[in-house]
Amino acid sequence: MLAANRNPNITTMTMAEVLEVDGYIGNFSVKVRKNPRYVYEDICTGCGACSDVCPIYMPNYFDENLSARKCIDVAFAQAVPAVWDLQTDWCVECYACVDSCDVHCIDLSQEPEIVEFEVGTIIIATGWDIYEPEEYGYGKYDNVITQIQLERIIAPNGPTLGHLKRPSDGKRPKNILFINCVGSRNEEHPWCSNVCCLLSIKNSKLIKSEYPDSNIVVSYIDMRCAGKAYEEYYKRSRDAGIMFINGKVGTLRENPETKNLIATMESIGTGGIIEYEADLVVLSSASLPSAGTNEIANILKVEKSPSGFLKEFHSRLDPIETKITGIYICGSCQGQKDIGATVNQARGAAQAASIPMTAGEYTIELIRAQANDERCAKCYKCIETCPYSAISVDEAGKIVVDLINCKGCGMCAAVCPSIAIELRYYRDYQYNAIIDTLFEA
Amino acid sequence: MAGTIRAQYPTTIRAILVPCAGRVGSELIMRAIGQGADGILIVG
Repeated sequence: MLAANRNPNITTMTMAEVLEVDGYIGNFSVKVRKNPRYVYEDICTGCGACSDVCPIYMPNYFDENLSARKCIDVAFAQAVPAVWDLQTDWCVECYACVDSCDVHCIDLSQEPEIVEFEVGTIIIATGWDIYEPEEYGYGKYDNVITQIQLERIIAPNGPTLGHLKRPSDGKRPKNILFINCVGSRNEEHPWCSNVCCLLSIKNSKLIKSEYPDSNIVVSYIDMRCAGKAYEEYYKRSRDAGIMFINGKVGTLRENPETKNLIATMESIGTGGIIEYEADLVVLSSASLPSAGTNEIANILKVEKSPSGFLKEFHSRLDPIETKITGIYICGSCQGQKDIGATVNQARGAAQAASIPMTAGEYTIELIRAQANDERCAKCYKCIETCPYSAISVDEAGKIVVDLINCKGCGMCAAVCPSIAIELRYYRDYQYNAIIDTLFEA
Repeated sequence: MAGTIRAQYPTTIRAILVPCAGRVGSELIMRAIGQGADGILIVG
């Protein structure tokens, strides 16, 4: 991230939102709204004097709200750019930060700024969001946390500086239960989130190596450890003494005095019902398309899969391109994947985007819609139908087909009541001739 | 698809290539029925 930010050929725009995208490969015009940071990025030196004087503490979203940050603070230690930001939802406008800043880079009157620019190709990498569990008393029981919260707790720069502590009383949990497939592989989210099995193994192994007297149980439906060295990693974690129980936890209840959690599950391997009392329960919750995926799909007119993730051109043969030429996707916005697969796809997308950019030209097929104004009754059904928004009307009311955005699907030809828009090589009279000939015999 | 799995299909089926299932409008369907087709299968 830092290397990308320092590259002279890369411009990063943080706190920005894409509003509109027009055009086609080689000539996209993009309109972006830069939301105010209330700190001038080019002047701020990152000294942190403003945070020292800020009187307001707010939940730290980077630490999954397990710790507090100042209202004006840096998002997290490795943030790029390393510039402070001010959260207006919590600010009381005391202006203590403005007075404390030696370089005068804090400006509470900053307004959103609209930026317009031209690009040749677009890569979407909007990532994923975690499902907030409704199961297993999450949010109600103090000691039920998600994998991401556990990641923050055991991170050296996290809320407890890497010491494993449970939220209810700050004591070290000895008996830990991991529950996999929370909110995924069910009717609402039928997919497998792909990374949680390995995440459970990694985190349980980390805890076990730091605190060898921990008792760790992982409850799972299937352990899915496909991939290079993953199965071996799973075996090593079993050798290390982590217990894997095939069976999903049925109920989880809290002991109100000790705040321990009592899980009831059926072990498929040994049969019978198991009761397990855990000090801490970690949920591997499902991955969902990130919050803005719908909006970006509508703005770019990119298709979505039934799961809500963005749709690729072909799931196996071309998982990088979208149906809109010049727009590529990579990472978890396309589907659930781990870091290695994300890096692969990101490099692929960068390469795929650079090919037409370097070539400087792009060849289209001739199978395109063709409008005939003399026959057109101006019902404009074709405009409504076109999935690629390639059809428009010019000043004279004539139908115009954008030959680059048109993908030659022929849906316009199918809905046109007066054969005024046709698809080259797939015209009505050609089909009529085929049908008539085939049924002659 | 039938070809790649080496499946056989009856000789009474007439395959017509379309660029996209969306190209198949009601007029083409009606014409085929008018010419004596018993059924139409749009395979995407």
